[in-house]
Amino acid sequence: MVARVWSLMRFLIKGSVAGGAVYLVYDQELLGPSDKSQAALQKAGEVVPPAVYQFSQYVCQQTGLQIPQLPAPPKIYFPVRDSWNAGIMTVMSALSVAPSKAREYSKEGWEYVKARTK
Amino acid sequence: MSESELGRKWDRCLADAVVKIGTGFGLGIVFSLTFFKRRMWPLAFGSGMGLGMAYSNCQHDFQAPYLLHGKYVKEQEQ
Repeated sequence: MVARVWSLMRFLIKGSVAGGAVYLVYDQELLGPSDKSQAALQKAGEVVPPAVYQFSQYVCQQTGLQIPQLPAPPKIYFPVRDSWNAGIMTVMSALSVAPSKAREYSKEGWEYVKARTK
Repeated sequence: MSESELGRKWDRCLADAVVKIGTGFGLGIVFSLTFFKRRMWPLAFGSGMGLGMAYSNCQHDFQAPYLLHGKYVKEQEQ
């Protein structure tokens, strides 16, 4: 009797945890349209770092530990979009002139071989 | 489509993919721990579902200027 009640309780607890997770996802519209997901990610990016910082400060106050200040990471500016676009344009222009260039080089090569065999 | 609009669409797609894959993974963890005895397949299933949903959203987003959507309009009775 006790074992059955305990297994039922366990099932209810697991069901409520899983149901709560599903409801949270539904309420925050995380699996909905892309603009809602983007807004949720932006909100998380604004909320999480101050929360983590406050928690670390609280832990430091309670335990007396001092977390050392890390130096700021170096800012690297590499315009991926520009270099990617330039790369794509170079590749596409090379592909577009490839047949005519191949014809020209093969013609030159043929002329060269003809001249050598005369 | 202008390049800035294309860039915005790509940003939205990537953010959407991150959120959906993460959500699917998280739900997979919850269900794996609660009902499926810590097996790996709910995690893979959830992540895959999130990836598929993100891909579908991205596809609709990029094809949006070219797709024509019909709408049913109810006749208004006077």
